[in-house]
Amino acid sequence: MVSTEDFDNDVENKWCPGCGNFPILDAMKESFSELDLPPEKLFLVSGIGQAGKTPNFLNCNMCHTLHGRALCVATGAKIANRNLNIVVNSGDGDCYGEGGNHFMAAIRRNIDLTLLVHNNQVYGLTKGQASPTSTLGMKTKMQRQGTFSVPFNPLAVAMVSGAGFVARGFAGDKEQLAGLIRRAMQYRGFAMIDILQPCVSFNTVNTMKWYKDRAAPVEETDHDESDLKRALDLVLQDPEETISTGLLYENKSSSPGDFHRRLDVLTEESLLDQSIDMQTLQSLLP
Amino acid sequence: MATEVTVKIAGEAGQGIQTIGTLLANVCHNAGLFVFSVNDFESRIRGGYSFNILRISEDPLIAPSGKPDILVAIDEKSADRDMDTHADGGIVLLNTKEQKDLPDHVHAVSFDELASSAGGRIASNTVAAGMLLSILGSGFDRLEKELTDQFSRKGEKVLDLNKKAAFAGFEKGEAVPFSEKLKFESSGNGNVLMSGAYAAALGALASNCRVFSFYPMSPATGIMASAAEFTGRLPIVVEQAEDELAAVNMAIGSSFAGVRSLTSTSGGGFSLMTEGLGLAAMTETPLVIINGQRPGPATGLPTRTAQADLLFTITASQDEFPRFVLAPGTVLETFSAVKKAFHLSDKYQVPAIVLLDQFLCDSVMTEKGTLEMDSRGDEKNLECRDSKPGKEQSGETGQPYLRYRFSENGISDRRIPGTSKALVRSTANEHDQEGNITEDAEIRTKMVDKRHSKIEYMKEEMDPPSIFSKESAVLLAGWGSSRGSIMESCLTLRSLGYDVGWLIFHDIWPLDWDQVSEVVTDRKLILVEQNRTCQLGRLIRQQTGIAFSDSVRKYDGRPLYPDFITENVKKMMEQ
Repeated sequence: MVSTEDFDNDVENKWCPGCGNFPILDAMKESFSELDLPPEKLFLVSGIGQAGKTPNFLNCNMCHTLHGRALCVATGAKIANRNLNIVVNSGDGDCYGEGGNHFMAAIRRNIDLTLLVHNNQVYGLTKGQASPTSTLGMKTKMQRQGTFSVPFNPLAVAMVSGAGFVARGFAGDKEQLAGLIRRAMQYRGFAMIDILQPCVSFNTVNTMKWYKDRAAPVEETDHDESDLKRALDLVLQDPEETISTGLLYENKSSSPGDFHRRLDVLTEESLLDQSIDMQTLQSLLP
Repeated sequence: MATEVTVKIAGEAGQGIQTIGTLLANVCHNAGLFVFSVNDFESRIRGGYSFNILRISEDPLIAPSGKPDILVAIDEKSADRDMDTHADGGIVLLNTKEQKDLPDHVHAVSFDELASSAGGRIASNTVAAGMLLSILGSGFDRLEKELTDQFSRKGEKVLDLNKKAAFAGFEKGEAVPFSEKLKFESSGNGNVLMSGAYAAALGALASNCRVFSFYPMSPATGIMASAAEFTGRLPIVVEQAEDELAAVNMAIGSSFAGVRSLTSTSGGGFSLMTEGLGLAAMTETPLVIINGQRPGPATGLPTRTAQADLLFTITASQDEFPRFVLAPGTVLETFSAVKKAFHLSDKYQVPAIVLLDQFLCDSVMTEKGTLEMDSRGDEKNLECRDSKPGKEQSGETGQPYLRYRFSENGISDRRIPGTSKALVRSTANEHDQEGNITEDAEIRTKMVDKRHSKIEYMKEEMDPPSIFSKESAVLLAGWGSSRGSIMESCLTLRSLGYDVGWLIFHDIWPLDWDQVSEVVTDRKLILVEQNRTCQLGRLIRQQTGIAFSDSVRKYDGRPLYPDFITENVKKMMEQ
């Protein structure tokens, strides 16, 4: 049996004390051990930002890539080896800013991996600038008069773009989060969890208390996650009032199928285990 | 002396110029003739002015010709533009319905009307091909066979129409006087006829490359289109990425996970890919990129040719790291260079870039030789999942596997995630031997040194430049696809009594520049390049301290023909 300790390593953690990333890290370990996934079967891919550092603090295969590009590297790896369990750690700036185009494409491609977006509504690594999800008018050292852009709504975008598994986690509810990660990894196709997370150093607006006052787990309601329209209603709620958390939408039908199911060459065997036969190639030449 | 004829087919985009050219090229190739066919077209789908210029010879060809003996003007505009450019004794076939007063060498013919009488206007290109082949001296049966190969899968009706149309054109051609008849042999000569783009794709497939990620960009799209022809028949995935950033990073992801991958683009896309190039370098992940050059900067001339990314490619990305840069000059060289790029990129765990250009990607040529499909004997070992690391590194004896273990030649054992107990850990940040982020000054220095220590070994893998008549006082120096035109010009100049040799680079970086120094010392170098500032000349000067004395430069986006070099060099040498 795999235990959470199997994922511990002795790499010095570089997050601020009290950072919302710690419970996310714990929840990841918990879900991996519950899924009985040994470190060598797991491949974590991350971008740049405080969230991007996450794989460094876990004992498993990892590639800590470039700003915004984690989903691309992860997609290439999954195409190569369907047997890898791939989790992408990204942040609101990394995924919705620098990597916005890749986010859209990954949803459409429906590649079978799990995307965790550590969304703290601010840039942490570069010390407190506004992010794509910062509240309108939020003041920072760089946005002295407050942000002028309306916040990006990642879950609404994901839902209308055809994502099959759309969830919102909260760093203040580790148990719910671990469950979501587990279900996301079991989902066959692109699964995303936008994880609300306080930034203790740079976001004085969206604090742990602010989130706790608004977080509303859907498990405690009669929400039906197969109902896309109701799910969409939930992510269009005014976040100043209520923020629904949990599994908001899941497409349980096999249609249209994930990337690997749509490509004959990938359905049976991993590309890694296949080879081009040179005689066959020769015979196909004009 | 061997007969050779150059045919130029000119008209608007969308009129089927390439269809005629392809029919002609295939029939000639199958009859043992040599073809060098250049496509010159605008960045538009319909209208404008495009042409296909085919040089056909009984002897092997290394360069294109810009002087047509036969001009086929599909529209009158092209005829007006080109009427005077053909060589002495040449003829013009003017596609027109009107009967006008024309000079003797201009033959009016309506391909459309002949096609309509044969059963459909759509076959007018076949009429043109039929007419041309009869003028060139081919028998009709050769064209009939080619048409059967091309059209039989489209059904009896289509095939029949094309045969009839071809015959109508063929008959018409018999009445056109043309003395330079080519010798059509009974069978082909077993040589290769293909474009550089197709050769590049085959080179990748022959290297067991199974992931092709790309974003469309002329002139590199043809490489991926060629690979795509094999989807469903070979275990490959051809995936159109959302942009070049994704294309290169997907390629890196596949390679990291153990499957060879290729991405191809042109300068603009390569600019975006430089970020990923650095990631491959830092994580020491094999990566092959093909940069099919075109004139820039920015959008430049999208469908035209240039050799202006040499210095950019050698230095692209922030900071410094080793990489291979190869610049093949022919289709077979392209095939081999791509194979070599995969082999070396895997062996040294560094990026390899193959520099092509629009001229090489889009030109179709007959070349002596065959495609060596068999992978190198050591290929299996290079697929690092099969490598056998020392026990102490396996991760199975309690000690951690060190992805970036220091070694004498800078190469560490590369394992593939998920295939063993060993955990593969990589980061784009500077890292320690285990792959964890570090800011330690000493480790940083050692890691930079580790990556760079590969260079001395990499140099030994590179082929030195091709040298001809190295005792000549003057050497024409160039690289990549200019190769053939430089060689042909050099031979012409020598036959005219000029003492010139050549120095042509195909493997470009890293090189043993001492070897180059030895050759170029006390020689007058005339650089022949398709860029404004003589990038190869500057590189030679940087690496050897030896300056070039003159240059033939062309940066109008059009192909470099031997005559252009010859005329310019003659002027220089007469001064």
